[in-house]
Amino acid sequence: MLDIQEKMKEIGPYVPAEDDDILVCRCEEVTKGEIRKAVHDGMTTIEELRRFTRCGMGLCQGQTCGRLVKSIVARELHVRPDEVEPATSRTPMRPIEMKVAGRDGGYAG
Amino acid sequence: MKMTRYDLIVIGAGPAGLSAAIVAAKAGIKPVVYDENARPGGQLFKQIHKFFGSKEHMAKVRGFRIGEQLLAEAEAAGVKVVLNATVIGLFPEKEVLVRIGDEVSHVKGDAILIATGASENMVSFRGWTLPGVMGAGAAQTLMNLHHVKPGENVLMLGTGNVGLVVSYQLLQAGCQVKAVVDAAPRIGGYGVHASKLARTGVPFYLSHTIKEAEGTDHVTGVTIAEVDEHFQFIKGTEKHIEVDTICVAVGLSPMTQLLKMSGCEMKDTRGGYLPVCDAYGQTSIPGIFAAGDVSGIEEASSAMIEGRMAGYAIAEYLGFISSRERASEEEVQKASLDALRQGMFAPENRGKKIETTEEGIRISENLLTHGFVADDEISRFPGVTRKTGIHPVMECTQNIPCNPCQDACSKGCIAIGENITALPSVISGKECIGCGMCVASCSGQAIFLEEEDVADGMGEVTIPYEFLPLPAEGDTGYGLGRDGRIVCSASVSRVRTLKAYDHTALVTLRVPMEHLHETRFYRAQ
Repeated sequence: MLDIQEKMKEIGPYVPAEDDDILVCRCEEVTKGEIRKAVHDGMTTIEELRRFTRCGMGLCQGQTCGRLVKSIVARELHVRPDEVEPATSRTPMRPIEMKVAGRDGGYAG
Repeated sequence: MKMTRYDLIVIGAGPAGLSAAIVAAKAGIKPVVYDENARPGGQLFKQIHKFFGSKEHMAKVRGFRIGEQLLAEAEAAGVKVVLNATVIGLFPEKEVLVRIGDEVSHVKGDAILIATGASENMVSFRGWTLPGVMGAGAAQTLMNLHHVKPGENVLMLGTGNVGLVVSYQLLQAGCQVKAVVDAAPRIGGYGVHASKLARTGVPFYLSHTIKEAEGTDHVTGVTIAEVDEHFQFIKGTEKHIEVDTICVAVGLSPMTQLLKMSGCEMKDTRGGYLPVCDAYGQTSIPGIFAAGDVSGIEEASSAMIEGRMAGYAIAEYLGFISSRERASEEEVQKASLDALRQGMFAPENRGKKIETTEEGIRISENLLTHGFVADDEISRFPGVTRKTGIHPVMECTQNIPCNPCQDACSKGCIAIGENITALPSVISGKECIGCGMCVASCSGQAIFLEEEDVADGMGEVTIPYEFLPLPAEGDTGYGLGRDGRIVCSASVSRVRTLKAYDHTALVTLRVPMEHLHETRFYRAQ
């Protein structure tokens, strides 16, 4: 289990970067800087980042930015991308209108 | 309430899903295949190029034709494919939540095969959200499915096979490919695919990546710059290129959300977030299988075999075939898959630098950094021989699993042997009749016919040509070298478009003898 306090000390403070304004999550318009800052605020898993910044929570459900976010977090935490804890997968896996989700035909097939 | 139940639910009607469903249906299973798209076939129908492999892998057949065959086979086997059907959930007890039209419904499968494929990776440079920046696969969809030109002047980022193949298709669609760029120091895809681009004059920029896409409401230009070994930009190396389209081909990510959602054991690898499964696609949950790109990115040919393997495993799991029947079928499939996983581009060689071929010949460095084999490197490869009479010159310099040229020659001039990754060589003593079947059969367009001294100081070279309009006999223009530069003037002495060539035209150019061995492409005057 990651010791957040220790990790935060280890990675040091957030330092602004020249490309912080680049959009990473297009759907929810989250920038690289916002993601980097969130890591320094203690969000070290993709799940936490999604809830905190909404990155990967839009129309494409992180299909486009998921990998990018992971690599940004990994770099910030000084770990390999595969060491970053991935987000939970939930239904609906594809965006769906509420009226359709509500029209549940049950087990009729 | 009565729940609809299927023996097998296949999610994804691409090469893996359909292949599995066909095997399952032939074993007596009644599968249903859901696909969220309006058309089945996955990515196969976008593939207008000839595939690699050997006869059993349908080598030298164009991808979309393989797709057509697969669909016909599925229909004949009674496979039910439901289109515009989006699976949005997978719950315990193999319960599938699927959206069809304006309704969602729950169905159950005794077995489930997840064959959802992959999605394209992106990179975030300044301006990457501008219209005109798209995945290479998206550009391919526009061109090859919807017949829409993605743009006029294109920059391709990525030199894997997707980047190289799509760049070539962009040229075929009439776009200008201004540059093919990769942050890696070496071209990642097949050398033959790179050479097809280089000989038309497309420049490669290795150890370069995109710094910025320019434009306000769409892409109007791009700045690339060189990167060091840590992929950091080197100051002062910026180059500006005027383009209206930027295609990104930087790999694929498996779409494994359903597997994760179902509770299958997962692993994070360099190739993406993958389900843990055995060689037949069985995941950690009995009865849930995965096949194709979703279980690890490979080629469509591999996906079809993986699908068949999963199909047999499912048939045994459900009790439709015996374990003995399964074992004998799997053995055939496994051998076929192993054959595709050999050579320099085999999964275990990913990221490794290979210095020599299986034959012990030094690899062309120039091919890896500029996309073409240099004139002084080409003669060391066994397919390249010089003689007076007409004969094939096979500029095949990397060990890739492919052997249609050997089968194409009815005179037995070409030898690859049992090992399909071996480089082809010319068998001396066999007479070439110049039929051109080898030229048209080469999926990498790496075979040429040369004939020396056909007239005073002139020789003839026959090149594969897949562009329209075709040159006409008697036309004059330029012979281009492997690097795409003009080497001489050339006249078109013959244009052949046989049905057996399958839309690869053979253009014979008459060129001065001293440029015969360098001329590899034609440009009209």
